Amino acid sequence: MAVYTVSQVAEYLRDSLESDRFLADLWVNGEVSNLSRSAAGHFYFTIKDSESQLRCVMFRPTREADRLWDGASVIVHGRISIYPVRGELQMYVDLVQPAGTGELHLRLERLKARLEEEGLFEPTRKRNLPPFPNKIGVVTSPSGAVLHDIATVVQRRYPLVELVVSPTSVQGEQAALDISDALNELNRLQEIDVIIVARGGGSLEELWAFNEETVARAIYASHAPVVSAVGHETDVTIADLVADLRAPTPSAAAEMAVPDMSLLLGQVKEWQRDILAIARRLWFEKQRDVDSLVQRLASRGPQVGDKQQRLDELTQSLSKSLWVTLNLSRERFQGLEQQLHALDPKSVLERGYAIVQRSDQGALVRSVGQVGKDDELNVRVSDGSFNARVS
Amino acid sequence: MENQPSKIEHLSFEEAFVKLDETVRSLEAGGATLEEATRLFEEGMRLARICHQHLSATELKITHLQRSFGEQMTLLNKAEPEADA
Repeated sequence: MAVYTVSQVAEYLRDSLESDRFLADLWVNGEVSNLSRSAAGHFYFTIKDSESQLRCVMFRPTREADRLWDGASVIVHGRISIYPVRGELQMYVDLVQPAGTGELHLRLERLKARLEEEGLFEPTRKRNLPPFPNKIGVVTSPSGAVLHDIATVVQRRYPLVELVVSPTSVQGEQAALDISDALNELNRLQEIDVIIVARGGGSLEELWAFNEETVARAIYASHAPVVSAVGHETDVTIADLVADLRAPTPSAAAEMAVPDMSLLLGQVKEWQRDILAIARRLWFEKQRDVDSLVQRLASRGPQVGDKQQRLDELTQSLSKSLWVTLNLSRERFQGLEQQLHALDPKSVLERGYAIVQRSDQGALVRSVGQVGKDDELNVRVSDGSFNARVS
Repeated sequence: MENQPSKIEHLSFEEAFVKLDETVRSLEAGGATLEEATRLFEEGMRLARICHQHLSATELKITHLQRSFGEQMTLLNKAEPEADA
């Protein structure tokens, strides 16, 4: 007969409990008592009925922890194991639902928690829809108003696309598999830009297929981004949570999937106006450039060498009438040029005059009163300048 | 050449729309020669016309995927309860 250590027994108990499938995933109904919260944010409490009680711990409290208070009637989900340090059996709770929650709803919450943990609802993996789709896949019932609603919106907003309908049943035993197949079918085509998964309103039971794991996985695996529109705005299915975008109704899904033609046409018209305005401004500027070129040529008179050649080239590219105008104006401008030359300060210096400036301020010296003994001056004559000092 | 007229007329709406956007940007950026600017202007106007053509009088196309015979039979069998779906 062997003798065991306490740790060995605790270890054995833990293994036994944790290998039990029933204890690994169960819902327990009871009343909350002895609720306390640790500094780390963990919740410790007991759930009890008239005869028994069970220790509970919730390590990662979600919003659902709001449902915990002493005396609250709840249904908690989790697994049962022991805490070896104290040798205490306890329930590791991950979900809290109010007492009286229906079975379907509990299943939904459990799957939701599991898929969320797995990362299927991650906001970071939500993809953007293409701005100009060519083909839109529609996963819905071939009969029924949903397809009609979607087609009406797309026809009005952006009829350039092709709707590729992948028909499926949307309720009943096989619906979840059917919906997944319809999605996979569209993804096999490889040319679908976006997929709308839609169903009209219904009870939780009628919408159930969209809460099944197979549908969630098919949406998650879709190459094309998925817009979901299942039931009414208030019913959030798991399909809605996995989809890249959730629409409140099938019509709204169609609106999200295609751009609005009237806005696009407005943009095109705006661009046309821009182009016209830019072109007009540009042509006006170039016209002015030509005018000023003509004036510059006119003010120059005949040149020699490469300048003459350039002038010839320019002349050739100007119209004949322009050249006539140019010739006529040249003589007038030659006279003007001589007058301008006479005013040029340089030609004055050539006649023996000088410009005197104070070195410190650069001020021109016009009067003897502006200078005193030892002031530094700068004197400019026709071919250069020199410094001088007043004696 | 990418900008040959024959080719431009075959652009999809998206291609024409994106190209028109680029053309307007090139013109706005300035610095083009008169010849280049004139070419951009003409191209932009043609692209705008293509966009208009695409968006006017288009009929939405709807195709239904054909499922395999077996799948169609299952669909048919289940068609009844979801007729109002």
